[in-house]
Amino acid sequence: MTDPTPPAVEVRNLSKHYGDFVALRDVNVTIAAGEYFVLLGPSGGGKTTLLRTIGGFHKPTKGEILLNGKSVGHLPPDKRPTTMVFQAYALFPHMTVTQNVGYGLKVAGLPKAKIAEKVDYALEQVGLSQFTHRKPHELSGGQQQRVQLARAIVLDRDILLLDEPLAALDAQLRKDMCLELKHLQEKVGITFIHVTHNQEEAMTVADRIALIASGDLVECGNARDIYRAPQKAFTASFVGENNLLRGKVTEANGSSVIVDVAGSKLTVDKRGLAVTDGQEVKLSIRSECVTLDRLNGSDAAADGMSIMGAFDESVYLGLTTSHLVHLPDGTEMVSRVIADSDDSLPDAGASVRLSWKPSDIRLHVN
Amino acid sequence: MASLTNKRTDGGTLTVGTQTSQLLEMLAPWAFRAPLIFMVLFFAIPMAMTVVFSVFERTMFWMEPGFTLFAYENFFFSARLVNFLNSMKYSLISVAICFVFGFPIAVFVRKSIPQVAQHRVVLLFILPFMVSEIIRVFALRPVLQRNGLVNTTLMDLGLIDEPITALIYSHTGVVIGEVLSFLPFIVFSGFLAMEAVPKFIFEVCDDLGVGPWRRFLDVILPLAAPGIFAGSVFIFVNGLGVALLPNILGGAGAVNAGLIATQAITALDFPLAMAVSAIMMTTLMALLWIGHRLFDLTKILTPLS
Repeated sequence: MTDPTPPAVEVRNLSKHYGDFVALRDVNVTIAAGEYFVLLGPSGGGKTTLLRTIGGFHKPTKGEILLNGKSVGHLPPDKRPTTMVFQAYALFPHMTVTQNVGYGLKVAGLPKAKIAEKVDYALEQVGLSQFTHRKPHELSGGQQQRVQLARAIVLDRDILLLDEPLAALDAQLRKDMCLELKHLQEKVGITFIHVTHNQEEAMTVADRIALIASGDLVECGNARDIYRAPQKAFTASFVGENNLLRGKVTEANGSSVIVDVAGSKLTVDKRGLAVTDGQEVKLSIRSECVTLDRLNGSDAAADGMSIMGAFDESVYLGLTTSHLVHLPDGTEMVSRVIADSDDSLPDAGASVRLSWKPSDIRLHVN
Repeated sequence: MASLTNKRTDGGTLTVGTQTSQLLEMLAPWAFRAPLIFMVLFFAIPMAMTVVFSVFERTMFWMEPGFTLFAYENFFFSARLVNFLNSMKYSLISVAICFVFGFPIAVFVRKSIPQVAQHRVVLLFILPFMVSEIIRVFALRPVLQRNGLVNTTLMDLGLIDEPITALIYSHTGVVIGEVLSFLPFIVFSGFLAMEAVPKFIFEVCDDLGVGPWRRFLDVILPLAAPGIFAGSVFIFVNGLGVALLPNILGGAGAVNAGLIATQAITALDFPLAMAVSAIMMTTLMALLWIGHRLFDLTKILTPLS
């Protein structure tokens, strides 16, 4: 490692069991200092457990956590360089905004003048300077979360943990707050680790995303790569709107393989994966990369980049329209287009051809 | 309600249905008026009468209209005042003991018991109420008396040579009985009061490094204060007023306002009994007023807004 500063968080072989239930299984992840890192995954997948274990609220069953290069296994939450922002219901209801933000510093024994100065600065950072004398119940949900943010950043700890911080907000406010979080992180420059089950939220804020499901860290990478080039079939199914196809390898020589999906031979890049003839594999293609063509009586040439299906229906979603098609084996496929054309649609059950560019289809093995 | 009835009664029975619904509509407001009238008739008026009767003249078996402060004089310039003040003191001690025992239970149930099981645990504290209070209190006698369970056990263990006689027929006995009888109230009110404490607040305290003592003083106490006060007032009122406890467990001097009034009634001194009641009422109203000014008791019913 040439970088002299140690990573903000290094999780090594971390497992957490609750009786027989395995909340986390052998998780390894490294988060660089100053990074906006998102833990994304379905509810109950273990992402909050991981966050809380980093924060010191849970003790790991196995493995260790290093914060800024130091093992923190034995430290309580307040002795770690981390601080937590909760979903909601985490403000002191009987204290004003100023008292809420300053309470941690008061407990730490800072002089009053110093506390006032730091609290003012923190409230300015989150844009709450006019609300200093309000009580939490006089604030909106978004403002309450900003108070929590101010209470966290005022402590000057360098890792901020956010546990579904926007879950209790409505959709529009959530979008706005996402951007604000991102800008706040850029402004204060500390490491943010953000847990969410909302992929749009994750995409908006994240430098890097880790997918966590059923206690496993499935995949970790840049937001863009996770979306455009998922390594694992689970990632493809969870992020974006992907078509997942099951098939059997018929030819595994060279850099690409030929997979038989519902009677069509599809060519796909091997990506260095070890596959053998006859192996069951999965393929994924994002729905916006699939083009739908009508067949005008002529059977299209089987070029390995297309598949035949029967048209079911179209769903108009405003910005996009999804065309639903089913393959001969019953698999559903979706072609999503940004088009608002009034062209007549194929009849239900009509034969259609779905095609894509060679780079858009990805091979996954279990 | 009317439309529902009409729908059901189609055809020939329509008129009957309409009449029924009209009757129901007429009766509906009385669902609220009836309890009000009941309370005025049997609570507010008798309370006012208590004050009026307390200044009546005493006769041989009852009283007659008039104005005299003799009953009050009789109360304030006798051992009764001392006994009354003592019973206030020991009621306060009971409240304190109940709080020390009961509130941690409420906090524990809220904090450490899984949400689904919380109400069942609280339900356990209702079980003693399934046994009549007389029986419950009376059962303390064989435990606390001179050759009772506590004394024989302590003597068998060699911890004491002489039985402790102060356990019963004394203020101690009354306090023990009060704690036994009223502990659940502080658990209930504490449990409700803890609802005002937001879900993640203890974790926030962990994160900020707030120690247990400070956490109690700065966070739990201010938030739970209205509920704690309500529970405490309830215990105090009962400690002062329930004659049963000092009657069974008390003794010379170990009486409360309730027992003083009861004794006055036994002696056919009705104006005195009324005066004691009026004094007790005034004391408690003052207490509630102070409490309301301090804690805003309406907050008990609005835990989180």
